[in-house]
Amino acid sequence: MAAHSKPSRPVAPYRKPGFWRRLRSGNPSDVQLGYLLLAPALLTLALVMLYPVLTVLWQAVHGEHLLRPWQGSPFVGLEHFQKMLWGRNMTWDLGHLSGLRLLALAVVAVLWWQVSRGRLGRGVALGWSLGLLLVFGVLMGFHPGEGGRWGDPRFWNAFNITLIIMVVSVIGSFVVGLPLALLANVESPLRWLGRVALLLPWAMPRAFTGLTFAWLFQSDYGVVNDLLGRLGVTALLQVLLDSQLFGNQGLLWLSREMPAIVAVNITLIWKTSSFVALILLAGLQSIDRSLYEAATVDGANAWQRFWRITLPLLRPAVAVALIFRTLTAIQTFDIPFAMTRGGPGRTLETLGLYVYNTVTASNIGYAAALSVSLFVISLLITIFYLRWIFTDE
Amino acid sequence: MSKRPSRGNTVLLHLGLVVLILGGIFPAVWLFLTSLKLDGELIRLPITYLPDRPTLLNYVAVFRDNPFGRFVLNSLVVSLGATLICVLFAALAGYALARLRLPGRKAIMTGIVMTSMFPALVLLVPLYRLFVGEEVGFLSALFGYLEQLGFGFLPSVVSTPNLLNTYAALIIPYVALSLPIATLILTSFFQLIPIDLESAAMVDGSSRTGALFRVVAPLSAPGIVTAGIIVFVNSWNEFLLAFTFNTTLNMRTIPVGIILYQGEFSFDWSIISAALTLGIVPLVVLIIFFQQRIISGLTAGGVKG
Repeated sequence: MAAHSKPSRPVAPYRKPGFWRRLRSGNPSDVQLGYLLLAPALLTLALVMLYPVLTVLWQAVHGEHLLRPWQGSPFVGLEHFQKMLWGRNMTWDLGHLSGLRLLALAVVAVLWWQVSRGRLGRGVALGWSLGLLLVFGVLMGFHPGEGGRWGDPRFWNAFNITLIIMVVSVIGSFVVGLPLALLANVESPLRWLGRVALLLPWAMPRAFTGLTFAWLFQSDYGVVNDLLGRLGVTALLQVLLDSQLFGNQGLLWLSREMPAIVAVNITLIWKTSSFVALILLAGLQSIDRSLYEAATVDGANAWQRFWRITLPLLRPAVAVALIFRTLTAIQTFDIPFAMTRGGPGRTLETLGLYVYNTVTASNIGYAAALSVSLFVISLLITIFYLRWIFTDE
Repeated sequence: MSKRPSRGNTVLLHLGLVVLILGGIFPAVWLFLTSLKLDGELIRLPITYLPDRPTLLNYVAVFRDNPFGRFVLNSLVVSLGATLICVLFAALAGYALARLRLPGRKAIMTGIVMTSMFPALVLLVPLYRLFVGEEVGFLSALFGYLEQLGFGFLPSVVSTPNLLNTYAALIIPYVALSLPIATLILTSFFQLIPIDLESAAMVDGSSRTGALFRVVAPLSAPGIVTAGIIVFVNSWNEFLLAFTFNTTLNMRTIPVGIILYQGEFSFDWSIISAALTLGIVPLVVLIIFFQQRIISGLTAGGVKG
């Protein structure tokens, strides 16, 4: 362009304008402009995301410990992972539980082999795998003696609690979130207030949420125990549950294992179901109204319309919410930390908290290996979900 | 979901809506009520719902016992800084991804989405070491070589600056953590601006970059606001990195400040509640004014993902 804009000069043979000339002329090519515009974002991501991930990979196979600086960071290969998953002095025997675990893993492997050959639906396989892994994980962590023999008991404990939180809070946030989305879509003068109530849990910092619910669940002066007491639920629970779990005013929510797990899941569901509801709301609003009218004309009742039209058309939104929720559930850190710092004991020590505690204990190498395991789990789930969404579309 | 539900259904739906509203705001309301109670009332049985003698003393205590104003300032500086930089970068990238025919566009998009799935936790150790000041190996080697050539004034060991307990230590990772979602929001937003407007400007004699700044930039204001709010809320809420990088009293953000609250007594719930209430207020204001934007932003980011 620049060559043609000054006709007074003798015509020079056409030269493709150089990179800077095109840029300065204000008419860069797509590629130039594109990479120029992308550069800041990509550089930031490379510095703050890619570089750390590569460093973590390096650290995971090196034995760095800040309290033992003299040992430097020797290459230890997969020792951390062996310690984590298998145990240092573990022999390949097939004891009763070991056999069961290997069987569970074998069944999972067979399930996915069948899926890869197209003989089994992905949903079925996912359900079975999760169930088996839950059993597998519970067997690992809840038998301290056995767990001690098999890998790092703290890792398996953290793995279990993370798995429990993942399954319970993700399912819970959908069970609560779907009605919320339907309600938020209702025409009403209260609608804007409903949306504020929907957005507040999303916007509230996780650390705040943890603290707030720690106060709500406080065993003596908390409002939860007060309400449960007034409604007579505490009396009912006292009949059903171990008396060890109760204090003067009701359940000792945050100082006993099972109540703490329940409390943290309730908190997570409160915090996250509104996000699920928002994503589902977008899905709901994109559904064509005329479909419902047609169905009504054909004589479908509200229930049938919900099952036959709303749910199937909501599937993409469900998939998206599922991905985000699962990935954030794996990384659960702030809420249990703020509620009980991972206690009582190590009941609420999620993988995230375990990584954090290992870092503060200066064991950099092992913390990196734990992060890698966390990352691998996230990656596997992401890949699984993405394949699931894209192949079934 | 039918268009005209019967009267019974309407009542039922409104009942559900009221339950939703109560469930959503109850914890915040309870915090506020707690913050108005005096210590004595807090540990009295049976517990009171409405404060006997409402008082604002706890709010005074929040500022008296801790540099809470400083926490607020820190949170504001970090969140606003991260928001500005992140939205700028995301807008540039989003425009490129939405409009330009780039080789590898899909791959870049997938890469950006994938990075949003990295756990922030994984970044903890490497970023800590980067910010504490890590030797940059190849630069040290280069400078050593130059020194041998006679450039004696160069430092022999090159390391990254110690950024711990500075605003930069938080702004840099927050920009990166929110960049994927902001890019997604803005990409889908730019795709909605009709390309004809830009072509028209170029036909009228504007240059390409001119069209970008005079036509596209003003039109993209709503999308930028949307992305900005979401980045702001993300940054305002982040805890783990702030808790690790900025621990000196004067550099804490609000969540860190409250978690590490140093009270006269062990754990003073009435004062903590007051502090939490103050921390939530800006978010509530944002929500009330921008609810539609936030919802559209979240869903744009989500549906694309």
